[in-house]
Amino acid sequence: MTMSWARREHVGDGHTCKCKIISTFTSERTQMCALGLRWPERLAFRQAGPVPPSAHPLGQGPPGGPAAAPRLGCCSSGTAGGGAAPAAAIPTALARARGFKRAEAPAPGPRGRAEAARTPGAAMPGDHRRIRGPEESQPPQLYAADEDEAPAARDPTRLRPVYARAGLLSQAKGSAYLEAGGTKVLCAVSGPRQAEGSERGGGPAGAGGEAPAALRGRLLCDFRRAPFAGRRRRAPPGGGEERELALALQEALEPAVRLGRYPRAQLEVSALLLEDGGSALAAALTAAALALADAGVEMYDLVVGCGLSRTPEPAPTWLLDPTRLEEERAAAGLTVALMPVLNQVAGLLGSGEGGPPESWAEAVRLGLEGCQRLYPVLQQCLVRAARRRGAAAPS
Amino acid sequence: MGAEEGNLAAPHTIQAPARDTPTTFRTFFFFPLRVSQRTVEPLEYYRRFLKENCRPDGRELGEFRTTTVNIGSISTADGSALVKLGNTTVICGIKAEFAAPPTDAPDKGYVVPNVDLPPLCSSRFRSGPPGEEAQVASQFIADVIENSQIIQKEDLCISPGKLSWVLYCDIICLDYDGNILDACTFALLAALKNAQLPEVTINEETGLAEVNLKKKSYLNIRTHPVATSFAVFDDTLLIVDPTGEEEHLATGTLTVVMDEEGKLCCLHKPGGSGLTGAKLQDCMSRAVTRHKEVKKLMDEVIKSMKPK
Repeated sequence: MTMSWARREHVGDGHTCKCKIISTFTSERTQMCALGLRWPERLAFRQAGPVPPSAHPLGQGPPGGPAAAPRLGCCSSGTAGGGAAPAAAIPTALARARGFKRAEAPAPGPRGRAEAARTPGAAMPGDHRRIRGPEESQPPQLYAADEDEAPAARDPTRLRPVYARAGLLSQAKGSAYLEAGGTKVLCAVSGPRQAEGSERGGGPAGAGGEAPAALRGRLLCDFRRAPFAGRRRRAPPGGGEERELALALQEALEPAVRLGRYPRAQLEVSALLLEDGGSALAAALTAAALALADAGVEMYDLVVGCGLSRTPEPAPTWLLDPTRLEEERAAAGLTVALMPVLNQVAGLLGSGEGGPPESWAEAVRLGLEGCQRLYPVLQQCLVRAARRRGAAAPS
Repeated sequence: MGAEEGNLAAPHTIQAPARDTPTTFRTFFFFPLRVSQRTVEPLEYYRRFLKENCRPDGRELGEFRTTTVNIGSISTADGSALVKLGNTTVICGIKAEFAAPPTDAPDKGYVVPNVDLPPLCSSRFRSGPPGEEAQVASQFIADVIENSQIIQKEDLCISPGKLSWVLYCDIICLDYDGNILDACTFALLAALKNAQLPEVTINEETGLAEVNLKKKSYLNIRTHPVATSFAVFDDTLLIVDPTGEEEHLATGTLTVVMDEEGKLCCLHKPGGSGLTGAKLQDCMSRAVTRHKEVKKLMDEVIKSMKPK
């Protein structure tokens, strides 16, 4: 009997996982939906029962795994909290399949081993620069019986109180820390320094004595999530999502920074997300703009970010500044970046299920309003930082 | 020198923090260069202070910078701590997950430390895989955990041979101003003391793990290792808790990790100038006093948290 994964899709933050299991035994397709970042089902399909010593090959994957796996059970089917419901809750076809696999335990040795060997480890197996841990690990939330509470109903236009502070790191040229509800992000700016591979250029000079387009400075953004920032631990090499967000940061900050004043130079902006409590990208954008201003980089205007999410089907409404619970359950999400004084949109990043265009336009308008409301707080923060810096420096 | 000042355009001035006495240099260019000795000849500058048994920031040779610790600030982590040693800031977050125990030790769990030095903390680090310094720090923390038996790995086992906890200790440096090892060790200790794991039972009939997220308990921390770092100047002088600048000028560094009752856990001396046995003894006695200071601070912090 073979069990194989037909397709696995990740939606959004990888919190939702859809899988199709084709089982030749039952010859029917079972579709399961579960909340859980890594599909722990892989454990359930390993060889069950104690492995006879002679049959245990050397160098097989997680050593204790095969015996342990089925005991740990699989993840739930469709419960919001993703608990390990007892076998009864699992769709019958799957249960039958697993039962069959269990009964067959000693026999399909080679196949079972092949299955097990194919399951990838959670830790990077080739990463010899970090201390090695176990090959795979699962978060305890998957085995918890109770679900998360649904997020409470609230005013869709409420903004969480924001704490912003600039100029707190001693080694960076400019830095800022932003805390909005549970989201904590720290951003530092260094430079300008000589750009690598800066090209020689001619071309018409820009307005205001700026360098020609080919010689303009560059903004390099780096977005990092702390491994303990989310519900589930993410091993350090971040992957595609962090790169996408770094690019979004760069695209949103470029219109605001006078890069023409830093010819052949590069400014490095690094954002670190310490805790993800919802609207992480928006908070990172705001913190990055504050850090740039704190570093004394010439800018046209600050950039303020605001996150939105749309509640799922019955009565879809756009919520401003969603919390993590709201984001997890959202059907669509949007982040807008606005330059408040110039009243120009610097960046826009949205994803999720489609909807009528008016709904998206409404969301953008709501987001821009939110950004405008946030601006006075950031102004005050920068003024305080400048005062502190003035008081600290010798005359 | 002074007569030429008036003849030329604006003289070059290099800004320097307070406490410096700027000295004018005779250079072979004819305009006066007001340069701080701290920037041009930092070693001489330091020697002037060290002769008087003190340091430019006003500390004595055996004095630590102000230490502050803040625990439990990251709610997504099972345990967290933020430690500031002067300007050096380090945050440690603990995440606990389930894993199968290792085959060669089926009754033990895992503790996996990881020290990250992102480009955020200092301009000398680049983004990408961990550099040499981060790897050394990670290995040092792993050694401290192993040698001091801060947690008995047997305590982390839930069901021998089948299920155990793995504690991922991620330490991120937010601001690098020297003495990273002390800060990391302290942050790790504080975070482990703060960490709470949910209760797990193995259901006999189904063999599934059942987790009760509402009931959490603290870890059993057996020992409290505290690290003290020293920098060696000119092969003879030892100063405690070096800043980034001092580390750069030093000819060697030494880190001593002490336990309660003056037991030595770990000694880390990566090359550098040699030390006599007597000097080493001095270091160890200073480490013992430092342990008392840190333990007091930790107890205060934990006491203020407990009533939750």
